[in-house]
Amino acid sequence: MSIATALLANAGTTFIQTLVKALALGSVYILIALGFVIIFKGTQVLNFAAGAISMAGAIFLAIMVGDGGLPFLPFDNPLAPSLDDPDLVLWLINLVIVLFIAALFGLVIERIAIRPMVGQPLFAMAVITLGIEVAIRPFNLDATAIQARTLNVPWGADAWELWGAQIPKSYVAAMIIATIAGAVVILFYRSRLGVAMRAVAFDQEAAMAQGINVGRVFAIAWGLGAALAALGAIVYGMAPFPPGGQVSQEIHPILALRVLPVIVLGGLDSASGAVYGGLIIASAEVFAGEYLSQWNSTLGSGYSTIVPYVVMLIVLLVKPYGLFGTAEVRRV
Amino acid sequence: MRRKSKALASLVAASLVIAACGGDDDDDATPAEEPATEEPADDAEEPADDMEEPADDMEEPADDMEEPADDMEEPADDMSDEPATDVVTDFGVDAENMVIRVGLNADLTGPFASLVVDIVEAQKVYWEVFNEAGGYRGWTVEPVVIDSGYATDKGIQNYQEFAQESEEGVLMITENTGSPITSAIALDAADDNMLTIPLSWASLWPDPEYGSAILEKQATYCIESINGVEWLKDLVESEGGEATLAIIGRPGEYGEDGSAGAKIAAEELGIPIVYDGTGAVAGDDRTAVISELVNSEATIVWNTLTPGELLDIFGNAVSQGFTGYWSGNSPSFSYPVHMPSDFADQFSQYYFQSYYQAPWATPGIPEMDRLVAEMTARRPDLNISDAYTTGWIEGMMAETLFRTAIDQGDLTRENIVAISQDPSFSVDFGGLSANQSWPQDYNEALVRSTWIYDVDASQYNLIPMSEVTADNPGSSGLIPIEQDYVGTVAGSYQFDGPCIEPSS
Repeated sequence: MSIATALLANAGTTFIQTLVKALALGSVYILIALGFVIIFKGTQVLNFAAGAISMAGAIFLAIMVGDGGLPFLPFDNPLAPSLDDPDLVLWLINLVIVLFIAALFGLVIERIAIRPMVGQPLFAMAVITLGIEVAIRPFNLDATAIQARTLNVPWGADAWELWGAQIPKSYVAAMIIATIAGAVVILFYRSRLGVAMRAVAFDQEAAMAQGINVGRVFAIAWGLGAALAALGAIVYGMAPFPPGGQVSQEIHPILALRVLPVIVLGGLDSASGAVYGGLIIASAEVFAGEYLSQWNSTLGSGYSTIVPYVVMLIVLLVKPYGLFGTAEVRRV
Repeated sequence: MRRKSKALASLVAASLVIAACGGDDDDDATPAEEPATEEPADDAEEPADDMEEPADDMEEPADDMEEPADDMEEPADDMSDEPATDVVTDFGVDAENMVIRVGLNADLTGPFASLVVDIVEAQKVYWEVFNEAGGYRGWTVEPVVIDSGYATDKGIQNYQEFAQESEEGVLMITENTGSPITSAIALDAADDNMLTIPLSWASLWPDPEYGSAILEKQATYCIESINGVEWLKDLVESEGGEATLAIIGRPGEYGEDGSAGAKIAAEELGIPIVYDGTGAVAGDDRTAVISELVNSEATIVWNTLTPGELLDIFGNAVSQGFTGYWSGNSPSFSYPVHMPSDFADQFSQYYFQSYYQAPWATPGIPEMDRLVAEMTARRPDLNISDAYTTGWIEGMMAETLFRTAIDQGDLTRENIVAISQDPSFSVDFGGLSANQSWPQDYNEALVRSTWIYDVDASQYNLIPMSEVTADNPGSSGLIPIEQDYVGTVAGSYQFDGPCIEPSS
């Protein structure tokens, strides 16, 4: 009886830990997926530079709170928190500043590389974003190759204990941050500017005819998208996510690629699809990793990485535009 | 008291008893040949006085530490100092200006860059010292460094550039980062007579079938694992526990070799393997591996991973309450990556680093004093680094080869390979690492000793060499607790050959 109770308790603990991990990873996916969706919705371009932009944002934060410097500037950061005992409020202020810098970074990219391409085929613009990815990547790799880039997260790898399960504070933080970001995106879409963006997404020429400044919509989409992508990478840097409190040269560059099944599943132009897609894909990945682990040798090492694509394929067979994507209607 | 501290104290006590009962120490070990080099600059920091004291409990070098072969070439001091102009050369040598070109096919931007950059810098300093002292009989060395980024295709491309059969090629490769790249070029290197010192410790290389042109230094991954697992077993048992082993390795020569050694140790010592994750770490999501590890409740974990993989798996395992002791093949643990991480305290508590050599500023090692003095004088702005030892050792190996070749009047690639295969060829590392020779018999060629460090995040303090003082010596946080450790299994195990098959 006592053994059965212990086994049940252990199973419960494992389930809670797995669920929390899935929700936390889902939160990361949601943040980055929202970045994809906002840019796609505003500009009809799939942003292949999201990976490099997100990692650059995480590096900006590491420079500010880890190195005590300022991105692109040879000055010390007067608001840098202590390395030994980082102050939460100071750290959050730095986080907000970095999100602004990341948004500015997105605006600059849009102005230099995307705006001149307005009116050109969408495929060409997508290829341009690939070029941006390649151009930013060396900066990211150089910044992380030699020196560890700590994010100096105030709570580090601390965890709470809940019914015997370890609940890392970073996982809870990820959920809170994703909830706040999701709320901001919803409010944005309900704003005048958000409505303008939806109009542009629907028909650029019609929107222009209505007096909507399409260039401005493009810029805001890129700024917001870059900030969300950076936020996702920062959250993913917190321990016990794999980078362990740092910006990882191994893991961060491929994070955005892992989000592709999320946006395809949810629908490229659907914010709510990004949310549901993030949670479904992360849950499938984490629960499969946990509960099929005894068949690791049969399924093949790293099988859990493939699970998101399997789920995506199954859904696409039924709903080709994703769960919440707008179906394209053509007159034939 | 922390669990690790208690266990360490027990193990140290046992070590002291063993050391006290032991035989000769290494007083009669041959000191390193002192190449005629320039004295360090006057303003160089004095290295010895301000260095960290060795741990009192550090074990003496093993009695069976490999001695240089009796018939080892005498130091070159007895050779003529006159310039050796009548020397046969072929490729990678500028005979007119008496310059030997050596290649470093190095990972300067990939996953091991945090260590390899320092290794390369140390070797460059080694050659600076050598050249400024006039080289050897008029011959100097020019290192040529190309970044591979740890990408096999780029590494092969770099090799082809080095292997050019002209002055633009190199005489030998004195640093080739990584098992995959070394494996990819090994056969070509043999065909081209391109002697290569790998930054890879795969058990393949002492076998002439795979590594006839690969001059491996120090213990293999396989032996490192055997020693490490035995040491961890003793640690667990010293605190009354029972050793049960979990093995985690990445696919490929590195991971599989390390895992194979751990299995040999488990079999020989009767340690149950409760989780075998050989080659299981693939893909970006390691939930399955972490889950199996945590559920195994192993008391010791042996890993052969990249630093990033270790950080993920270790961090998640301890976050879920896993409390086994860890160690693994180098460079699974990398202090520039792990010490600033959010799991530094947990690494201090549960992790022991296995390695092959003396870390930065280890006292009582003459060659280390020289290394510290030269690095401090010539690269004062760089941080202190344990990895400098590796680059220095590579330089010592190549210099020994070149001196012999110059004295023989033959600086051809073929002769360099021939010298490396001569039973009389050996290198005395002056205490930086176990002395080594390279006989063709597999078991005789193996170095069977390794070093074990404690991980102590509280001491981690990477500072520029110019800022090192007696009060602030700086530290990687890795404190040697076993020097030239040879376990009972590694000391006597007879191998049929390499622990693994090559993957390509």
